[in-house]
This record gives sequence, structure tokens and C-alpha cells, in this order.
Amino acid sequence: MDVNSLDVSRSYCDTCQIFNTAVYETLITVDPADPNKILPRLATSWEGNADNTVFTFKLDPAATFADGSAVEAADVKWSWERLANLNAPASYLMSGLKSLEAPDAGTVVATFEAPNSAFLPIAAASYLGVINSDVAAEQGASAAADAETADKAEEWFLANSAGSGPYTLESYTQGESLILARNDSYWGPNKPVFPRVTISQVKDSSSQLQQLQAGDADIAMQISLDSVSQLDGDSNVSTSVVDSFNYVYIALSPGAEGAENLLDVNVRKAIVKAIDYDGAIESLVAGKGKKQASPIPNGFVGSADLELPSYDLEGAKQMLSDAGLADGFDLDATYPEANVYGVDFSLMMQKIQQDLVKVNINLQLTPVQFPEWADRINAKGIPVTAVYFAPDHTDPSQYIQYFGEIPGSSWAVRAGGGEAGTPLDNPRESELLATALASSGDARTKAYTDLGQQMIDDAIIVPIVNPQLVLATASDITGMHYSACCNLDLGLLGLAG
Amino acid sequence: MSLLSAESRIYADAGPRSTWKSPWRRVTVIGGMIVAVVWLIVVFTVQWWAPYSPLEAVGKRLQPPSWDHWLGTDALSRDVFTRTLYGARQTLPVSLAVIVTAVTIGTVLGAAAGFMGGKVDSLVMRLVDVTFAFPPIFLAMAVAAALGPGLRNAFFAMVIVWWPIYARLIRGQVMAVKHRDHIQAAMSIGATRWRVLHKHVLPLSFTPALINATLDLGQVVILTATLSFLGLGAKPPSPEWGAMITDGAQFFYQWWIAVAPGIAILTVAMAFNFLGDGLRDALDVRAKR
Amino acid sequence: MPLLLLGIVTIAFCISRLIPANPLTSIVGERALNNEKVVAAAKARWGLNGSLPEQYFIYIKNLLTGDLGTSFRTRQPVTSDLLDRLPATLELAAGALLVGGVGGVALGAYAASKKDRPADHISRGFALLGSSLPVFWIGLVFLFVLYARLGWFPGPGRLPPRTKPPDQVTGFYTIDSLLDGNFTLFRQCLWRLVLPCFVLGWAYMGQLSRLVRAAMLDEINADYVRTARAKGLAERLVMRRHVLRNAWLPTLTILGFSFAQLLTASVLTETIFQWNGIGSYAVQAANTLDFPAVNGVSLFAGLAFLLANLTTDVLYAVADPKLRLA
Repeated sequence: MDVNSLDVSRSYCDTCQIFNTAVYETLITVDPADPNKILPRLATSWEGNADNTVFTFKLDPAATFADGSAVEAADVKWSWERLANLNAPASYLMSGLKSLEAPDAGTVVATFEAPNSAFLPIAAASYLGVINSDVAAEQGASAAADAETADKAEEWFLANSAGSGPYTLESYTQGESLILARNDSYWGPNKPVFPRVTISQVKDSSSQLQQLQAGDADIAMQISLDSVSQLDGDSNVSTSVVDSFNYVYIALSPGAEGAENLLDVNVRKAIVKAIDYDGAIESLVAGKGKKQASPIPNGFVGSADLELPSYDLEGAKQMLSDAGLADGFDLDATYPEANVYGVDFSLMMQKIQQDLVKVNINLQLTPVQFPEWADRINAKGIPVTAVYFAPDHTDPSQYIQYFGEIPGSSWAVRAGGGEAGTPLDNPRESELLATALASSGDARTKAYTDLGQQMIDDAIIVPIVNPQLVLATASDITGMHYSACCNLDLGLLGLAG
Repeated sequence: MSLLSAESRIYADAGPRSTWKSPWRRVTVIGGMIVAVVWLIVVFTVQWWAPYSPLEAVGKRLQPPSWDHWLGTDALSRDVFTRTLYGARQTLPVSLAVIVTAVTIGTVLGAAAGFMGGKVDSLVMRLVDVTFAFPPIFLAMAVAAALGPGLRNAFFAMVIVWWPIYARLIRGQVMAVKHRDHIQAAMSIGATRWRVLHKHVLPLSFTPALINATLDLGQVVILTATLSFLGLGAKPPSPEWGAMITDGAQFFYQWWIAVAPGIAILTVAMAFNFLGDGLRDALDVRAKR
Repeated sequence: MPLLLLGIVTIAFCISRLIPANPLTSIVGERALNNEKVVAAAKARWGLNGSLPEQYFIYIKNLLTGDLGTSFRTRQPVTSDLLDRLPATLELAAGALLVGGVGGVALGAYAASKKDRPADHISRGFALLGSSLPVFWIGLVFLFVLYARLGWFPGPGRLPPRTKPPDQVTGFYTIDSLLDGNFTLFRQCLWRLVLPCFVLGWAYMGQLSRLVRAAMLDEINADYVRTARAKGLAERLVMRRHVLRNAWLPTLTILGFSFAQLLTASVLTETIFQWNGIGSYAVQAANTLDFPAVNGVSLFAGLAFLLANLTTDVLYAVADPKLRLA
């Protein structure tokens, strides 16, 4: 469990998505089977205006919180304003918001300063879950402009919940377990089946696997792709390996100290060619993963028509020798110690090191803890490093805002560009993003595809693998799935027979 | 576990000696010597006869032990047997260097404290106390974290943990001989402190320091591996034993990856324990006093 | 003693702040690090705004009122975090002390009584093995063989799966389950303690048994023992009355000293066995640079060390008649 907070507006983590979805509800949600299809949840209907600046939601009059009171537009307004004003990690989701109106108890109108086609997918993100504002306000929660300092409710949320979802928080022991209890008066169509759901901290994949096989657990969330074959032929367990929207990537930062050679885009492109992606996928996730073209993950709008990277050792050597670097050079590769989505960063960086040595580029690998890494990346910069990304919501705009060489993007700052006049600045990306946010349908898809190609040409972010995901449950559990917005919606799980 | 090694000098000075006639002593010393010599040979010659390169991918990944790969292959298709052998080149020199440096620093500071007394003595002993007050592994972790990962920084961390043991030992020896008649006499006729140290103290201190150093060497090997296991020691891709165990721990069902480096550590630590014990008996510290 | 604690806190404070690292990752997450508004809000909220001396002053001031601050990571007061985890670590350390202490004395005494016979060699070998094994490795090996392959022992963790912890009274699951009258749970919790305690206690058992064996052999050859034996006292009685009693002293020295050491060795054991105690809390605090937690743990370790020393001194005085007279 990577829980950083159980306050839905302050939370920002993978486990949080599961918790938030089970306990709080969003107005709309995303179909687990299709990340680009939106389904109703608290809202029965929703629509954006022609230029994507005004969004109107109609709430389901039947919706009630766990304490029986009705879910009203005022609660939505309060929850979203609180998210915006807390300046928490997920607050960026509300950026550009001009006003929130609740003309009547069943209607919510969100108005944006600029076109924001991303808002419907964002409204499905679990961090926009609706809180029972009366209950929370009594515990010191605040949605006012000074919520950042005035709100005192975070500790209360570690032991209590105030949502409308199928489950409620029963207890939480950091590092051990998160226990949810059934909301017996759940208003929605899928009544929760289990009286109690316990999410336990079981650190390694092998223990999770053991527990699942022994019947000590019903669902294992992190079975490693290497050990999934251990479950073959076990009739008490059902497993499936599905595509995910997560990926791990390496990032090249020409602006970092000691990375002058990377300023030449052809050198960066040579590095992209010199990586043996298929070999990496085999080594890191036992072949259970996909290559990914651009920072926009497979399955998202704008990912379909791009060319996947391919391994071309001779081409890489040729490009380096054209750049006058046939003899190679050294690069510092400091990376955070992590094992994410089944990919061990140490293994990944050793694999990349093995590949790059063949074009005479020597990586100096230095694994560090995340705080040290964060200090390095934002101070001196790191020429080559490794990171991971899981979507906050299902709109591709987040990838440009985070990875693009545009003002305000994290990887523009870190790689040493982004501001006008810097060598990496790519004004075309800013234009395309504005177009994408203002348009819908095919025009939007086209804009994001172009953005993906721009980011491939930047050669800053090199996705290595888009790992698949093991869904492993006891065989009598039904409804197991992986959802792009919410990770896992516990409300959809059931018991066979 | 290295954490308890402060005790080594307690038992080094306790108990009657087993003699060479004791079969236990014979077997352990000879066994320990063979193991130590074998590892030494590995350190110096492995590059000529190791079956593969320790860093390159050979064959398929995660293969169980076979005729081609005696201890199987790891996740990056490297030969585990080769890597374990090369691991000796990482761990053993560093451990040896730690002990030598710690003994040297400890001797200088301990002798200074013993001879000069007064402020120097209390300063050195205060330093020793403070270092002892921190649990060794915490101290090593803190130093390694502050300096960053890497075998060289792990070396500094371990020297900081280990030198006080020897400072205390040497100071004790100096204090013990300082007041003996012949030393007093020597000093009264103008022998320099250096000469006294050189001629009288060091020969006496040499034996207990050597015994302790031998016993501690095994513990330093374990601590080196522990720091690497915690990500503070050797950097990848070097085949350090502790780092190999970390890698192997992720591949629980591919047990061969973590087993070999663990056994390597075990053999080295055991060998030096045996040798230290044997040395203590052979040199019979107590009889000389 | 307060001065020493202040010193420890100060050193911990300085080291944790001087390491070139950014604790905000554990507060806002990696992706929000470049978001100025979020970073500013987090800095203000978690007291990272002022200069270092200012922060230090505020920390010490709060410390004097018993407030250790709120952990960046768990978002709970450090004091309650530590108290929640203390029973887990104490349970583990007590078990290990039992394994190491009782096992070490028994093994050492047994070896001494069978000097130079095969039984002596086997027990010395077993003891030596314990002190030559890397704790983290043997923990993994035990889990693989005894849990995953053979299924003789339960897996990592304090509680059996699908079990709710017993009602919190002391926080020791073994004691609380007894208080609940839940004997099945008691047995299960005890059973889960066996492997980690053995792994943690073995190294210690090795050191102790060598010491006990040596001390006993010294005593066996001492004059008064020979006299007692000459007087015709049964060998067993000689052993118990004279030898064991006098061998007790050196044992005590190492025992008290080792308790503090055990607490730190538990860092590795807790990590391997997923024991939600102070050791694993310390590692996570250090890894995420959770300042309040790092300082809190250092303070705790210092306190434990002082207490253990004090206890040893007291025990020593009680056990040694010469010291008591003096």
C-alpha cells in the first residue's frame, strides 16, 4: 500500500484510487473495458458546450451518502472547490477553473477560463470524489480560498469517511491494513456483496502468491510477471494477464551537468535506437509487456497511429559517428530505487547499460532513494534517469503537461528547456495542446497524435516498456478488472454461486 | 551478525585454550585455511579461468543450474557462478582494507591517548564512546547515506564504525605497559615515546590486534554485504554478494540467484572465525601476560 | 542523560537535514515536485519554511512539550506511530532474547560439559554458523524453504491472514489474544514469532554460547570446583551450584549490552519478515527522509540504549556480591 492520505482531496497514490473509488463517488466514471467511454455514476447526464469551456452535470436524485442524506450539488461544489484550494498534489486537476455553480440541488455547472476538453475524463478521476460537506465541515474541513491553512480535517479522515460509495472506512493501520465495511444503505445499482473488505500490506509478490494459493487472500494485486506461471493449473485461482496504461521510461536531460553531448538531438535519437526493447521486455517482465511509441500510453487517444521504437544498433552507431562521437562518452545515470509495475529499476538500468555499452556510451549507475533523486533531478539534473507513470485520469493532456517541452512541464524544467529561447523549447507543442483542448472527436485525436510525434522527435522521454498486469483472484470472485481511472472498483466485485 | 562483534574481544580473552591436539582445532584451522586460500586464489586468478564474463548476458535468463551454468543464470542472463566468483574481488579487498585502515587509525589514536593522557586521552575516548553509543548498522547507514552509495563510501562508513574497537584495545595495552619498570626505566634514560611504542608496546599489542582483526574480518564481510543489501554498498552492475542477494530476493522461485552469494559470505565469515580462534590458541595471548 | 539525548536529537537533526535530498517527494509525490503552488503549500504545512536554526528551535521547543511532530509519511503524530509499533518490536526482541539467551546458555553449558566430544563439536559448529550468517540472507532462505516449499512455518507478518488484530490493550498480539481468551489466535501469533525470533536470536546465541562455554571451562578447572568435586558432590550439582552460577556474570554483561543491539539488528529482520515494528519504521523513515520520524526513531534508539545500559549495571550489581559490597 502506498497510501499517502485517506482524505480524498489530499490523496495521490495508486492504493488511494482504489480506496477513493470504493468509498467516495465521482459524478461520472470510465468504462473498465474501454478507457475512452464515459459512464454515469452520481450524475445521470453531462454535457460540454461547443468550445469545451462550460460543463453541466445533472445529479441522480436517488443518490445518498452513507449517512442517508442526499448528495446535492452543493456537496459537489464544496468538494471540488476544496480540492482546488488545498493545493494538494491532485489540485492541478482543477486548474483553469473559473467558477463552479449549483443553480439547483441537482445541477452542477463548471466553467473554465480556456477550453478544456480534458475535463470529462478528469471528472471521472477518483480524486474528484464527492464528500458529504456537512459532516466534513464539522470536523474542521474547509473549502474556502484559504483551505490550504484553514483545513484541519486530514487526521479525521484517517479514521472516518464521509462518502456515498458502496463501502465505508472501518479502520486503517499504516503499513498493515486498510479495512472497509459495506455501506448497507448504498443507493446505486450494484449493491456491495462483501460485509468487509481488508486491503493488507503484503510486501512481496511471492508472499501474495502464497497467500492466494493457500486461500488466505482472495485477490492479489502485485503478482510478479515472472512468477505468474506458478499459478498455472491451480484450480482455486483464476488469473488473467491484461494490458495496463502504466509504463516505465528513461529520460534524457541535455540540460543536466555533464550531459552536453545530449544537446545534439541526433545523439539522443541514437540512444533511442540503441536500446533493445524486445530484450528489455523479456528481461524485465518476462515478455509480458508492450513497446510504447510516445509518452501517451497504448490505448489512450493519440497513441494508435505512431510508429513503435525499434532496435537498430548499426543505425545508432552511424548516427553517433556522424555526430563525431563514435568513440563514445560517459553519462551519469542516477535513478531511484524502485520496483514498480513489476519492473525493477536496477535491472532495467543494467539492461540499458548493457545495450548502450555496444555504442560505446558508458552509463555510471547510481541507485538512490527517492528524496535524494528528487534533490538531484531538480538541482543539477541527471543526464539519464528512470521513472514511471500511471495515469491520473484518461485524458492524454496530462502527458503533454508533464512531459512536453512546454512552459510549466516537469520534464521541460528537468531536461533543461521549456522556456522560450532554450534549446529544447518546442512552441509547436503548446499550440497543438491548445488545439486539442478546444476540439473534440477526430480533430482532438489528430492533435494528440501530432503531439505524440512531437514528443518522439524531442527524444527526451524514452518509454521502455508498458507492462501488462496480472489479475489474480480466488476462482469464486467475479468482476475482477483493471480500470484506467480507478485502478480497481471494489463495488464491481462479487462472489460466484 | 556484525552488530555483536564488539564482543569478540571478550571471548578472545576468555576460556582455556584448546590445543592443537584437539581434533576440533585441527579440523577448523585447516578447513579455515583451505577456504581462505581458495578465495585468495579466486581473487587473483579468476579472470583467467572463469567460464563467462560477469557482466555480459550469456544464454537464456533465469535458467536453473545446469551443466553449462553450474549455478544457473540471473534475470539479465548472466552466469551466477561467474558472478559469485567475481564477487570475491569486490568484497574481500574492501573488507581487508577496512580492517587494515581501522587498525592503523585505532593504533595511532589509541597509542596517542595512552601515552599523552590528559586532554588527548579524554578527547579520543569521548570519540570512542560516542561511536559506540550509536548502533553500528545505524551509523554505517547514516554515513553511507550522507556520502551516497558506492563501495568506496561504504568503506569509509565501515572504518568509522570499526576504528574505536582498536583504539580502545591499543590504549589498554599502552596503559598496561606504561607503568612497568623497564619502560619507566627506559623513559627515564631518555628513550623517546616513539621508541617505547615501537620497541615495547607494539610487539605486545600486535597479537591481540591480529586475533581481533582476523575474527572481525568475517564480520566486515557480512557488514559489506549488508550495506549492499540495503542499497548503500556496491553500485550495479558489479557482482557484489549482498547486491546479488538483493537481486535474487525478487526472484523468490529462482532460488539459485541468491543462494550462491549467501554461501560465499558464509564460507568467508566462517573461515575467518575459525582462523581467528586458531590463531588465538596458537599465540596463546594469556600465557604471555 | 537528558544532555546525551539532546545530543542524539541534534546529531540526527543535523545529519538528516544536511543530506542532499528533498523530503517533499514523500509529501507531495514525485509528479507534483515541479508544481510551485503545491510545493509552497506543503512546505508551509510541514514546517519546512524557516531557516535551519529556526526549524531546530521549533523542533526542540515542541519536544520539550512532548510533541515529536507529525510524520510526513503516515500523517500521524510520531509519538503515536512509535507507540503503535513498539509492541511489535519488543515482542520480536524478547523472543529473540529468549532464543539467544536461553539457547546460548544451554548450548554453551552443554558443550562445556561434553568438552572435546562430538556433541561439543556439533554445538560449537551450530553456534559458529549463527554468527557467520548474514541475517537478511538466512531469513530469506528460511522463508523459501520452511514456508514456501515445506509449509512448516507461517509466512511473514504478525497476524494470520483474514484475522483481525485482538482488541488493543497492550499492543502485544500474544498477550492481547490471551486477554481476549482467544487461544487459537494466541497460538497462531506465537507460531509466527518463531522464525523471525530464531533468525534474530541465532547470531546472538552463537556469541553467547562461545562465551558461556569458555567461562564454564575456566570455572570447571578452578580450584573450588575441584574441591567440591573431590568432596564427592555429584557432577550435575557441581555444575549447577558452582559453575553455572559463576559463569552467569560474563553472560549478564553481554546480555544487557545485546538488548540494544538486538533492537537495531531487528531492522533487517523486520524488513525481511514484514514486521510492522520500529525497525521497519526506521528504514522507511530514512528512505523517505521523513524528518520528524527520523528524529523520533533516533531519540527512541538512544533511550533504549541508555535504558539497556542502566539495566545491565543494575543486574550486574545484583548478581555480583563483590560489587554490591563496594
